[in-house]
This record gives sequence, C-alpha cells and structure tokens, in this order.
Amino acid sequence: MSAENAAGTPPLLDVKNLSVRYPLRSGVVEAVRGVSFVLGRERLGIVGESGSGKSQTGRAILGLTPQPGIVAADRLRFDGIDLLSLPPREMRRLRGRRISMVMQDPKYSLNPVMTVGAQIVEACRVQKLAGGRAAKDRALDMLAAVKIDDPRRVFGLYPHELSGGMGQRAMIAMMLVGEPDLLIADEPTSALDVTIQLEVLKILDELVATRGMGLVFISHDLRLVASFCDRVLVMYGGRIVEEVAAARLGEAGHPYTRGLLGSAPRLSGSVHPLPVLERDPAWLA
Amino acid sequence: MARLTPPAAGTPAPPALAVAGLTVVFGRGAAVMTAVDDVSFSVAAGEAYGLVGESGSGKSTILRAITGLVRPSAGTISIAGEAISASGRRPAGFYRSVQMVFQDPYGSLHPRRTVDQTLAEPLAIHSLADREARIVGALAEVGLGDGFRFRYPHQLSGGQRQRVAIARALILRPRLLLLDEPTSALDVSVQAEILNLLERLRAELGLAYVLVSHDLAVVGHLCDRLAILRRGRVVEEAGADALRGERLASAYGAELIAASRGFRRPGTPDPAPDPAPAPGP
Repeated sequence: MSAENAAGTPPLLDVKNLSVRYPLRSGVVEAVRGVSFVLGRERLGIVGESGSGKSQTGRAILGLTPQPGIVAADRLRFDGIDLLSLPPREMRRLRGRRISMVMQDPKYSLNPVMTVGAQIVEACRVQKLAGGRAAKDRALDMLAAVKIDDPRRVFGLYPHELSGGMGQRAMIAMMLVGEPDLLIADEPTSALDVTIQLEVLKILDELVATRGMGLVFISHDLRLVASFCDRVLVMYGGRIVEEVAAARLGEAGHPYTRGLLGSAPRLSGSVHPLPVLERDPAWLA
Repeated sequence: MARLTPPAAGTPAPPALAVAGLTVVFGRGAAVMTAVDDVSFSVAAGEAYGLVGESGSGKSTILRAITGLVRPSAGTISIAGEAISASGRRPAGFYRSVQMVFQDPYGSLHPRRTVDQTLAEPLAIHSLADREARIVGALAEVGLGDGFRFRYPHQLSGGQRQRVAIARALILRPRLLLLDEPTSALDVSVQAEILNLLERLRAELGLAYVLVSHDLAVVGHLCDRLAILRRGRVVEEAGADALRGERLASAYGAELIAASRGFRRPGTPDPAPDPAPAPGP
C-alpha cells in the first residue's frame, strides 16, 4: 500500500490480516475478516455501513475489543511495537499517551460529574505529563488550541453545560493533550450539526497537520470522509472491499462503493427514484 | 371533528395544514425559553414541505405542537381548513387524518408486540372493521410480505422497522403525514429505500408531508417547498428548486448549503462538484 515510507523506519501502524471474532451461543460472528493496511503520518478514512466492522477495526487497534471478542492478526504493530503481545499494563501506557481515540458523542464519552478542566488535568497526571500548576496550564493551552474562546471559563464547566460542538472540542483537547502519534476518531462529528461539524473537522485537521499525527477517521459518511482524508478504505461485511484515493472517489470501481455513492440523495441532480443498493453475496466472499 | 371529507369540486382545496403565528414557550420566569417563535407556513393538499434546521431550531417542536404532544403558547393550527383547539386535546378524527413517523425505529415500536399487534392497535382505537385485510394491505404497501406479520421488532432490521412504523401511520389512511427525521438513524442504502417508499406512497395516496430534517439533500430530494429555521424562527422560506440550485437567499441558508458540501481544507481550491453517481446496475 502507498503509505510505506522510503526511509526504512517502521510505519506508524501496520495491520496485516486482522480478524475479530465473537463466539456467541448462536455461533461465531466474524466482525472483522482479514483486514490489512499500513498507515503513515497521514489521514486515512475507514468507511462502511453499520455492521461493516469499521468500528471493530478501530477498537481492536486500541485493544478495546469487548468480551468475548477474540482479536487475531498476522501483524498488528504500532511504531514497531507488537500490540498483540503487549501486556495490558504496557498497552494502557501506550493508549492515551501515544494512541488516542475520539468517540462519537461527547455526551457519553465525558465524565458527567467532573469539570472539563479536571478531566484534562487528570489525563495529564495519569499520563505523567505534568502535575499541579503545570497540568492546569497545559489543559488551558489545549483548550485554547481547540479554538475555545474563553478557556478559563470552560475549564470550570461540567459537560452538561457545554453544547455538542464545545463538548467534542473538549474531548479532542483531552485526547490530544498527550500529543499522541496516532489518533483514532470514530464518527467524531456524527452527533454534531453540519456547521459545527466543519468547525470541529477544521480544528482536527490543523492539529493533525501541525503535530504530524497519523489519523484514522472512521465514519459512515463516504463523501465527508473523502473531503477530509487522503485515502479511504471501504469496508463491507468485515472486509476491505476497496481502497480509493480520496480525490478519485468518482473513479471508485467496486459496485458497493459506487452503490453507496449513488444511493445518497444529492442537493442538485438527485435521481428519482434513488438507485437502491443491490447487495451481491459475492462481496462477502 | 368529523372525518375530513374532500371538498366539493370547484372550490379551492383548503391547505392540508396551515400554521399561523405558532409560538411554543418552555419554562417560566428567568428560565423561559422560546422554542418556536411566531412560525407560520401552510402545506397544500398533496404537497411535501420541509422544515430544515440544526438542533435547537424548533423544527421537531413544531411537529409536536401540531400533534398535541406539546402545548403552544400562541398561534393557530388548522388541518384541511378546520382549526384545531390549542388546548392539547385532539378529537379521534384528528388522528385519523394526521399521523406521525418518528426518527428512531428502535424506540418507536413496542419491543414486546408483534408487527400484527402494532398495526392492529390503531384499528382497534378507531373501531375499524376488516382488520385482517387492512393489516395485510398496509404491509404490502410498505413492501413487506406476509411473512413479517408475526415478527417482533428485534427480528427486523432498522429499515424494516421504519417500514412498519410507516405502515402503522398509513393504516388509518391519513391525509397528512408528519415525518420527524425518518431516515437519519438509517444507513444511506436503507435511507434510499425509505425515501423511495415515501415518494411512491405520496404519489399513490395523494398524501401531504411535513418532513423535518437536518439533511438538505434529503429535503431537496423529497420536498416541494421548505422553511429554514434557526432558534425557533423561520429564516427563509424557499422552493425546493432554489435549494437544489443552491440559490438560497439568506446567509444562513447559504452557510448550510456550504456545510453540506463537506470539508474544505483552507487554501485549497473549491472541491470538485459531487462525484458522478454510479449508474444503477
């Protein structure tokens, strides 16, 4: 894949033949089946509908696959570190500090009984970045970095006192305070209004660019992802069915990708009736 | 209110829905919050009307005020020319002519009732005969076969559940359907099926729609006219042609259109217009 860098240093993230299986009473559910990709310091989108395995892929990388899920891979390496054999203790140190995650809805991912500031300071302390005053300064700087106008005021607010857009900025501030190398964002803007969505994406984009992070952007919205990322992996039934350069979305070849693009109504020139996606069982093979 | 009858030929049909000066205020004293502020619009019989806005714009509250789920503080609402009382109580005839479809089909169907029981309830409430035939007919209308009749909601996909919710609304043969974000909890490919279904049913049954959505493309696809709401007020009323041609007059409307085009990296040229859709196989 295209992200291999020439200098011989290991890629930021190297995933080969990743699978996530859930043995349930009713049989084994194969949520992710043989996913492989390599990520450099770039923006990679993972797109698919519900049940395609896109979020399960992100969670498996972070070591957050819930019980009774079983993660297996030929290779799952972050910056040369084998994530599969990493003891839970080491994994926790990595997570938050070098790999971070932004989730969909700040209403559920922020602690409702702690102020925003206290949560960011806690993140600093847990990651042993700074303590006391220094942690507070760092938290305030971070809130300013996500374009919050009055960081001192927001520092003392509880999550319920924030709007969705502000909450997601606070979440991003918390996740990026450790200056991670890799950020996994799972539907980071889906719960937000369209105009707010773009503001949050702009902040994310700047931070990714200026800090040279790698970004995995997981979303159901193919067009949005293509407008934001460098390349896009399209997932269906636990597999990557196609990889497209974001700028060449119109040239996507897989019938599923083309079906997804076609079935979305468009502002101008919508087709009546909308073409309906005909699912070919062969796509699951 | 009697069952609404179509007007005699020759007289102009009254609008399916007319809302004038609608105001909804929540709270009191210092905590007063005006959710809907002096909103007026009307929807002709058989017309599809869109209410567009972001969260907190009051678009869902307008639907809830029409159905009597919240009590308006001021304004009048009339259905097919007949004013309905603002007191919140609605006669049974109202619910035969006005029905609502909610956003989340996972929340709007009773989890322990079969599809058959769900569809039988409105028939029982309105003492309608021929239940068997009506239920089978309603399922066929929304593209579900007989096999779905005795299933529970957890045995259905999201799209199938939304079809059941639409069947439940249609089984009373309403003239006006209130659609509150009917596809935003669904995947795009399923959304396409539901939008096609709604479009076909409107043509076949001559229904009027009020569609609440945050998605301009969905509104542009389904509606004839729309109102853009912000903080409880109508910012702009426009024909769907103006929306599709991206010619909205208000600055906020233009902002929403720009936002719907996706992310634009500062310093890059205008993104290419929408990539060509895939030709249907």
